[in-house]
Amino acid sequence: MSLPLYYFLAIAAIYILMSWSIYIPYRVGQLHFMTVANMAISAYFAALMAINFSWPFWLVLIAGTLLGALIGFLVSLAIGDAPCFAVVIVGFTFIYLTKTIIENVEAFGGPLGIFSIPKVMQTSSSNRVFLLITAYALVLLTGYLIKRFDRSRLGRAASAIFIDRDLAVSFGVDVKKMGMFLQSWASAVGGMSGVLYAFIMQSISPNHFTFHIVGICMTMLFVGGYSTIWGALLAAPILWGFPLILPEVLQSWNIVIYGVLLIVVLVIKPEGIITRPMIKKLESILLRKKKLV
Amino acid sequence: MKKLLTIMFVLLLTVSFAWAKGDQEVSDTESTGVVATEWEIPFLNCLTGPIASIGEYLQWGAEYAAEQINAAGGISGVPVKIVRVDTGMSPEKGTVEMSKLVADALVVMGPVPEPVIMAAVPIAVDEGLYSFTATTSFEYAAEYFPWAISWFSPTDEKLPPIVTAWAEKVEAKKVVQFVENYGAWPGMARAHVIGLEKAGVTVLEDVEVPTDAVSLGPLIVKALAQNPDAIVFSCNAEKVAKIIIELKNRGWEDMNKMLVFSSADDAALYTTGGDKINGVMIYNYNDPNLDTDRWNDFRQAFKDDHEGIEPFSLSPNYYDAVYMIKRAIEETGVTGDPKKLAEERILIRDFCNDVKNFEGLQYDWSNKGGYPADKPLFLFEIQGGEKVLIAKIIPE
Repeated sequence: MSLPLYYFLAIAAIYILMSWSIYIPYRVGQLHFMTVANMAISAYFAALMAINFSWPFWLVLIAGTLLGALIGFLVSLAIGDAPCFAVVIVGFTFIYLTKTIIENVEAFGGPLGIFSIPKVMQTSSSNRVFLLITAYALVLLTGYLIKRFDRSRLGRAASAIFIDRDLAVSFGVDVKKMGMFLQSWASAVGGMSGVLYAFIMQSISPNHFTFHIVGICMTMLFVGGYSTIWGALLAAPILWGFPLILPEVLQSWNIVIYGVLLIVVLVIKPEGIITRPMIKKLESILLRKKKLV
Repeated sequence: MKKLLTIMFVLLLTVSFAWAKGDQEVSDTESTGVVATEWEIPFLNCLTGPIASIGEYLQWGAEYAAEQINAAGGISGVPVKIVRVDTGMSPEKGTVEMSKLVADALVVMGPVPEPVIMAAVPIAVDEGLYSFTATTSFEYAAEYFPWAISWFSPTDEKLPPIVTAWAEKVEAKKVVQFVENYGAWPGMARAHVIGLEKAGVTVLEDVEVPTDAVSLGPLIVKALAQNPDAIVFSCNAEKVAKIIIELKNRGWEDMNKMLVFSSADDAALYTTGGDKINGVMIYNYNDPNLDTDRWNDFRQAFKDDHEGIEPFSLSPNYYDAVYMIKRAIEETGVTGDPKKLAEERILIRDFCNDVKNFEGLQYDWSNKGGYPADKPLFLFEIQGGEKVLIAKIIPE
């Protein structure tokens, strides 16, 4: 596989995971941007453990994911049932706090960052193949779990909260527990993405984890469609790859194009390009064809 | 008949003359063994995004050098082309763009700035491609030696002498420093402290300037509460200008007792500061008042293309980088033959890492192990938007 294709696919996998980490709590109407902070914390954790204590990749990956989940859980104790705007503010605050702490602690490399994160495999090519397979295995696993959740009773309860929180409460849905569960899960996905990011990029700095990730993942989720996992899955590679093929004269309009795209999609199709009814329709067509065969 | 013969004779002469000239061109490149028909040097730059204005003048410098070189016959008789590669300051985009270059590029200029360097240079190192990281501090480039070059010597070595010179000149006794936690700036602030201590100055507690600071008043109060008699600025150009204006409004009079670090020598300092920063001292790596034909030509061309604005501190860096690549190709006999790519990359790397007496735009310098040890630093006083030279320090 060519090197540019590898980096394109590897980073696309991270964007898919990060967009899903925003999708998960948005099932109950919460924009939980804290996952970007989780990404940074776990990336730094992974780098430090791998460099200083020679922890193997799998151990770092599991520990980084659990660390994300733990932080997400602790915070969710306070904001599990908070309204969307409060969750947004907490998320932004955490991103800012994390960045400031990392910049000011020498052990984390300060503003300079951390260099030379070791390879998982001996050679560069085998390392790339390994990381790519791992990244997409994790995308598949996460996608599968979200799909299972969406079709479960819990998923239906989350949909009820999204549509009408009071109505959901009257049906006996525990809004706080649901919010806590989804926030912790999203933070775990954020942490997992951070570990992958650190090993793929091989060096990290506080400037790698800023509000630009929130902007990109939000666009991916809302353009692709926020009511189903397929939206981010489709939009992430397209929107990430789009600036790479844009002619130089249009490069400076990149952000404007992103913004216009987001506005147009929100106006024309507020639920995004791929919606849940669209998926159901596709599924029923496929099912009918299968029956005919 | 006579007329026809004359025309035929002239035609014959023209054809043979053209043939001879073509032959000579072939023999020019043949004598150097050059296979390439054009030297394509990619420049991973930041042409869009938050620091696009800096990226523009870095690009300008590189392209101006290429223009001059081509006008003088190219590199080993072959024209050079700077290939614009925009990363938009995105580390992710930087990795993909760098990965596109590692298969064919002989050498790469950039990336710019630090987050992109950290993301993209490991790929180049892995694939044996030499990067001209000519705008970042030594500490970033050193991580990738010998596959990256630094334009600057270690921060702890190069900065203290100029700060000592300033402190002694203005007879500073108690100094407070405004520090912004961005990239190499805290490291530069620590180097300032070494210089201040060497001058016997009492260094007060740093005032940290948040990157997204809106209100600077509380920071100024915190600084003044320590009763300093001199101030060093290690933060963003616009913030430096705003803090100086605010200090002046609060009664600060001795403008010489304020020292601005090189990274703030940017347009925002002068446009925001205006006449209110007159008298403030600033240190830098280039002397805009240098009077040599080469510098004057560069300066004038820059002003012509930038509405009369003077070249900025980093403007010559990639201009010099292109000339260093030229010298490396010509002196090591690089041919541009794709079959010899790996070995010719190493030839360029080894030549540049230890280049001797390189004729830079402003001064000559030599490298040892990938960085220069003998580049001078200049101390200026700002007067009406111009920099008046006060001292020149050449490291020992």
